[in-house]
Amino acid sequence: MVALIRSRLFCTKISQNNNQHRLQWSVKQVTKSNFNESLQEFRSHLSSSDFVAISLQNTGSFSSAWHRVSSFDTPEIAYLKARRAAERFQILQFAVCPFTISGSKVTAHPYNFHLFPRDEFSIGMPSFSFSCQTSYLTAMAQQGFDFNACIYDGISYLSRAQELVAKVKLGNPIGVHDVMKPSSTPPSVADTIFVERVKLRIKNWKKACTDSSGRMKDEALIKSLRKLVLGSEQYGSRPCMTIDVCSERQVQLVLEMLAEFSDDLVALKIPTKGGGIQAVRVVLTDSKDDKSLFERELQNVEEDQNKKIRGFREVIDLISASQKPVVSHNSLNDFSVIHSKFISPLPFNMDEFLISLRSVFPHILDVNHLMKRIGPLENVTSIPAAIAYLKNRFFAPIDMEVYQRAFLNEGKVQGQTVLRICHLFAKLCYVLRITPGAIQSSDDNVTSLLDGYGNAIKSCFGNSHESVDGGIRIWTKSPRKVGCEDLVFLWGFRDRLSAGMLKSLLQGSHDIFSEEFDVCLVDKSCAIVAFMQPNLSQTLLDIMNSEGISGSLRELVSEGLRAAGYETYKKACSLGLWEVDLASSLEKAFAAPDCSSQSVSETKPSEIYWCSDLMINFDDL
Amino acid sequence: MNAAKKWPERALILSRVLPRAFSTTATNASAPSPTFPLKHVTRSNFDSTLVELRSHVRAADFVAIDMEMTGVTSAPWRESFEFDRFDIRYLKVKDSAEKFAVLQFGVCPFHWDSLKKSFIAHPHNFFVFPRQDIPLDGSSYEFLCQTTSMDFLAKYQFDFNACIYEGISYLSRRQEDEARRQLKSRNEVRLTNSSYDLRQTVDVPLVRVSDILFTERMKKRLSEWHDNLLQNRSGGYHDQGVSIDINQQFQTVFFKMRPALSLNGFTSHQLSLIRMVTRKHFEDLAYVRFNSESSSQELVVYTDSENDKHRLMEEVKNEHQGSAEMKINAAVGFRHVIDLLSSENKLIVGHNCILDIAHIHNKFLGPLASTAEEFVACVNKYFPYIIDTKILLNAEHTLRQRMRKKSTSLSSAFSVLCPEIAGGSKSPSQPCVQVEVHVDDMRSSNWNSGAKHEAGYDAFMTGCVFAQACSHIGIDFQLHSPSENLGQNEKLQKHMNLLYLSWINGDIIDLRTGNSTAEFLGSNMIRKWFPKISFENIVLIWGFPSKLKGSVIKECICKTLGSFSVTKVYHLDQTAVFVQFSKAELVSEFLILKETLEQSNDAISVLHPLSKLLEGGNTHAASYETYKDICASPVSKVFFADQAEAVGIKWKTELLASNINKSHLENAPDTAEVVDKSKTKKAEDVVNDSSTENLPCDKILDSFLKVTKSVRTTNV
Repeated sequence: MVALIRSRLFCTKISQNNNQHRLQWSVKQVTKSNFNESLQEFRSHLSSSDFVAISLQNTGSFSSAWHRVSSFDTPEIAYLKARRAAERFQILQFAVCPFTISGSKVTAHPYNFHLFPRDEFSIGMPSFSFSCQTSYLTAMAQQGFDFNACIYDGISYLSRAQELVAKVKLGNPIGVHDVMKPSSTPPSVADTIFVERVKLRIKNWKKACTDSSGRMKDEALIKSLRKLVLGSEQYGSRPCMTIDVCSERQVQLVLEMLAEFSDDLVALKIPTKGGGIQAVRVVLTDSKDDKSLFERELQNVEEDQNKKIRGFREVIDLISASQKPVVSHNSLNDFSVIHSKFISPLPFNMDEFLISLRSVFPHILDVNHLMKRIGPLENVTSIPAAIAYLKNRFFAPIDMEVYQRAFLNEGKVQGQTVLRICHLFAKLCYVLRITPGAIQSSDDNVTSLLDGYGNAIKSCFGNSHESVDGGIRIWTKSPRKVGCEDLVFLWGFRDRLSAGMLKSLLQGSHDIFSEEFDVCLVDKSCAIVAFMQPNLSQTLLDIMNSEGISGSLRELVSEGLRAAGYETYKKACSLGLWEVDLASSLEKAFAAPDCSSQSVSETKPSEIYWCSDLMINFDDL
Repeated sequence: MNAAKKWPERALILSRVLPRAFSTTATNASAPSPTFPLKHVTRSNFDSTLVELRSHVRAADFVAIDMEMTGVTSAPWRESFEFDRFDIRYLKVKDSAEKFAVLQFGVCPFHWDSLKKSFIAHPHNFFVFPRQDIPLDGSSYEFLCQTTSMDFLAKYQFDFNACIYEGISYLSRRQEDEARRQLKSRNEVRLTNSSYDLRQTVDVPLVRVSDILFTERMKKRLSEWHDNLLQNRSGGYHDQGVSIDINQQFQTVFFKMRPALSLNGFTSHQLSLIRMVTRKHFEDLAYVRFNSESSSQELVVYTDSENDKHRLMEEVKNEHQGSAEMKINAAVGFRHVIDLLSSENKLIVGHNCILDIAHIHNKFLGPLASTAEEFVACVNKYFPYIIDTKILLNAEHTLRQRMRKKSTSLSSAFSVLCPEIAGGSKSPSQPCVQVEVHVDDMRSSNWNSGAKHEAGYDAFMTGCVFAQACSHIGIDFQLHSPSENLGQNEKLQKHMNLLYLSWINGDIIDLRTGNSTAEFLGSNMIRKWFPKISFENIVLIWGFPSKLKGSVIKECICKTLGSFSVTKVYHLDQTAVFVQFSKAELVSEFLILKETLEQSNDAISVLHPLSKLLEGGNTHAASYETYKDICASPVSKVFFADQAEAVGIKWKTELLASNINKSHLENAPDTAEVVDKSKTKKAEDVVNDSSTENLPCDKILDSFLKVTKSVRTTNV
């Protein structure tokens, strides 16, 4: 592994450095009012940077203890948990920071975008409603977050999938840019009649238009009469006519016919609310120049509209188009949120998600994962803890240069986390000897460095541990591999039982518990028993279901103790039975009818790493 | 304009440009009118305000209330529909109250001053936020925000920061009971363990080298301090230098008249090691955790004797309990106001307030009952007198006349009935009930803050409308004795405790009995009268191809079951419709037909007119009862079809249990015939389209007109 330079000697120097950074970095705060100008600036910063760091501030993450991703979750379950959170909660702040690392110097351009899913077009998008957790909102308040600014002036957005729907719903005329290819099928009699009629109509209309433009101004009455007779309307300053159509076929026919006329006519398709085309609008232009002018006008209008529809998503699209590596701290949660809000609704299974995500962001670097390369630090999950850890062990001087016009220093600057991620990432690169060039120049290198893309995400939740280095073992209790099939979920025991008490209770209850096993609480209602020998879990389940159960285990069962295997847990998650207590979810999963399709598709045995100090910290809630 | 957040009107108001014109003219007209803000109440001034409010409420003749929430409907299909049965309307109210949070609560006590011949109003605007002050169970507090509602509030400059930073928290009665129960059981556990520590007293096994080293060091450090203390005591307490550690981790302090060592800057793991050392190695030292207001402090206290130690522990225990109870009391927070309103038995006045009442029940009493009857009984127990001004305005003939067919939304009623207060202008035509506003030391008989959609101001408007309405229906406040409860006034009795369960259909619920009555015919000339719907005639269909319009669905079914079989098709959203049949038998007939069509895969079923509806293979159909089950679910997906899936509906067609066997027997030979018939029917349709013309449905006519229109254009 990496040569560990124990460098307590240099600690003072680093902490000095660090003290500097404790000062507030300035971060550009972006709301609706300064979005367009900031976007230009961001575009240029992005193109000149090597990496983009992101950090999200959501309105919540997990509703109860067991909804949070834990180390006993397989990647699929972790994804289901992340998906649920991403669908429920809303992003209020999206901090993005393009940065470059050269040696020990980091050049960063942080932006903090304030988002609000305002329904700008009254079409019920981007989101009808969202959940908030009071603890998250109060924590944001403690950091001085301005909710008024966010709700009054936050930037809205639509996902790529929503954009398509919105365009249909808004029903704006669609310009016909390229000349249609002639239809392959020969025209029927009805078609020919239709085309001839429309042709005649257009001819008359055009003639009338050009005639009247040559003549003196008509009286208003005659004008309106002509309008009535000819069906002539105005499109902006130009005359136009609407031709109703009944099918896509007729649209095609009209467009083909117009192509023959095409010297000075421009066609626009008028969509229905349902997505079809209800009419073709023909606009008459004065000349070739006027025609191209009009076409450009149309294009500009369309672009403006698209910009308005995309809103903040423009930033996501820019990052995606730049193909720059994206650095995140908690990539599973962050990218499931990004996918659901800015790309499309999250797919049901993890592999589809990864494929879809990869097509948008080909390089994702997770600092949590990189930290694991240094040592299996299950407990160092927060950024400050990771920075402190590195500070105490390695010599990695990083000089942060933050290029952002200083903001009015009132209160705390929002969106500092993204800079801490840059900082941590730079330190990790330094320690792990990852040169930014290597990451960028060769894809292979990236994958070998990061154990592949999927793994990078999968390993964020602690089921990929490298060999434990001798020097570090003292800091962690060594985890051991436990197959998911060796886990049993227990519930229905007395309230307020600790894991230790439950374990000792079980130990005396049956022979099966004379073998080595471990107990931990998932939440106050449910515990996991992990058997270190194979096949014992199934034996336990069988015993608990059998008539011949005896001893104090029988007593426990009669008091309401229930047990289920890992499959039931999986089922509860995949059916979306997110009750407050895991116990009631498992009960419901039991009651739910078996869906054979799901159990067939997932036959491969999964393993997790069992950590005996696995505990859920209730203080975190 | 309270109504804006009440569901039926809200969409309307949001879609229109908000009628602010009125308020701007009002401020122009009343240039010299003394305007001061109403009383805003947050955490910082809550306690003092509560004391004042108590006396105001006690003296009040009635109390007007209003609130602002984070949203109204959790999904588009949860909006109020024409096809909602009474029990479903309640489920929709319940869902809304359960999902959304109350951000502002307006309370405005009105008191008649017979000397001034005027009402005295004390408008209060409470900022409320459900902060989780006491951890009750593993779950976190969570609420839903409807994007449009938040945006709406933002348009009226709602102060979200005040709410989240400084909002008053609360516990419902149920939560308070639970908190007290937990406290009690914690104490019992502590008693049985004969240990007073908050944490468990299980020894920490010393596995790590660092732990062993740390424990040794602490042992040494504590015994040094201990010995030093004894020496100093004999020597008379001089040496101060010893007591202060270099890194401030240990500090000698006094705790309950005893010397103590306060522990700072240790991790919780280290603290538990210290506690273990103290217990194991020092008989006269006691480890104590002491909760001060904001933080907790760990101490090692020196005690003279075993007795003294016990005394100390007893003291600490009592203090813990005392402070825990104080904490619960403080956490009850805003609910003290609700308790006050309930205990004083005052007449509560709201405007279209069923949702407000449901929120009060859910937030401050306990979870809402599953049926309207139970809910109503509970509300009536806590608030025996509730009047809804919207009911009053629509039911009383004199008031309807005065409203002159104008909207009965709050702001409209306010400007029509109380022009003096609303516009600040004296209207000579009619004498108005005077209202004097008191906010702290400021008073004004001509007050108008104009801050609409602020709960406190809306409550004030509601109260004014009520006072004026009372005087119009002949209640003379001058004759009204202050001792008499306005809630028992006979002129108000016929409106007492009646609320609109749904304003859109005029469904009224009686809080005393739980009975529902449709608004009596002709009471409201503005609204059209809906025929009584028989719900057994209705089929719910969802999951069909999203492009299908109601008219097409109707056509499909009419071609199959006869041209007069369907009376109406009503969209819940783009994924679901109600189909109302002309006869109840057609419901089961349709469901069976659908089932058989889906099971057979032959050519006939493909050609069948219903196949258009079944396209995609995801079309579900069920009777009206399923709609109730889906509405009762706590889940809220945006689209109805997704909701049905999330609720766990696996079947595709719900055959009516009682009819299955019977109708199967009867219809089994018939089905083929039906298919046959419809096939021929279809051929007829192509030839003679005019059959659709006779149908009473506007939608069919619409589509027909569209067809003719397009024919016309293509014919030009």
